[in-house]
Amino acid sequence: MALRLSERLQAIVFVGILIAAIAGLYATTQLIQPVPVRASAVHLVRLVVEGAGWSIEYAPLATMNNTAFGLLLEASAELGFPVAYVWYQIPQGVFVTAINGSVNGEGSRFWLYQVNGVYPSLAADHQALHDDDVVRWTFSASQDGM
Amino acid sequence: MRRGWRTVVEAGLGDTRTRILGVFLIIVAVVGTLLMHSYANIETVFAASLLAGSLLGRWWTILVPLTALAVLQPLEWSTTYVGYGLNAITGITFFVISGYVFVGFLGRRIRPRVLFRVKSVALLTTISVPVTIAYDLWTAFGEWYFITRPFGVGIRTVLEAQVPFTLYHLLSSLIFVPLFGTIFLFLHAYGWPARTPSATVADPDRE
Repeated sequence: MALRLSERLQAIVFVGILIAAIAGLYATTQLIQPVPVRASAVHLVRLVVEGAGWSIEYAPLATMNNTAFGLLLEASAELGFPVAYVWYQIPQGVFVTAINGSVNGEGSRFWLYQVNGVYPSLAADHQALHDDDVVRWTFSASQDGM
Repeated sequence: MRRGWRTVVEAGLGDTRTRILGVFLIIVAVVGTLLMHSYANIETVFAASLLAGSLLGRWWTILVPLTALAVLQPLEWSTTYVGYGLNAITGITFFVISGYVFVGFLGRRIRPRVLFRVKSVALLTTISVPVTIAYDLWTAFGEWYFITRPFGVGIRTVLEAQVPFTLYHLLSSLIFVPLFGTIFLFLHAYGWPARTPSATVADPDRE
């Protein structure tokens, strides 16, 4: 004969399973958060920022700012151009909204970054750099001309 | 002829209890999403759409998600995602609206007997997991096609980036579907004087 639980017991079991599922999911989200990049020296990295009709290049011999975002901020401080950004908590990461006065959305253009010609799937502050990497920030319009 | 038209509308919207619950679901969808605005993919439109389809049915299956999104989408495009072209806005909005309407229709299909029972809430909660994943896959495709594909980004990159957002969306569903499902089933069962004995049960513990 099958075990029949009272409504109250069913509720307790259901809530218990639900809490376990929520806790497990939350733990997973924390586990897959990108690990903060440990600061270390990188050499001969190059930053190229391409706006609409202007460009900036920055190529330190060595730097401790070994993320795509860190390098951008270092260049901003050294060369004196402004960078605007937003920090997100869920999921963690920085979102660059403006570089050198060019703001996301102007003329349907948006700031995108590549490392060695590839669009990463990480936020710029979690994208680690290695020796000889080239970081390119482009103020791009879509190819569809939206 | 006018009487026929009125009959159709009344049949579509249901009785007073159904209409009040439908409006309440719309308010839950809009207010909940706005309150959670700073947390990606933590929203209440999904739970409201699923409950509208499964518990209310009739026109509310479509009315709840459409009305909520009619308020939320213009806000999103004019604030968080300002600057996108009309083509992208139209395309993404189509995927979002169709996704939530699909959720409502799925809720209608798996509609449990409207009783204030643990099994009813458990069924809705369980079904919300694969439906959430399906919705996120659908909208991720739309975002890839209309937003990132024109910049040369591949679908694989978009799907990889979608993973943490889907996990948060699942969290949202597992919290809000049983929470609001319990509240609405309780209101449906006990919020108004019962018209028929089958609408309420005197002692839920008695099985």
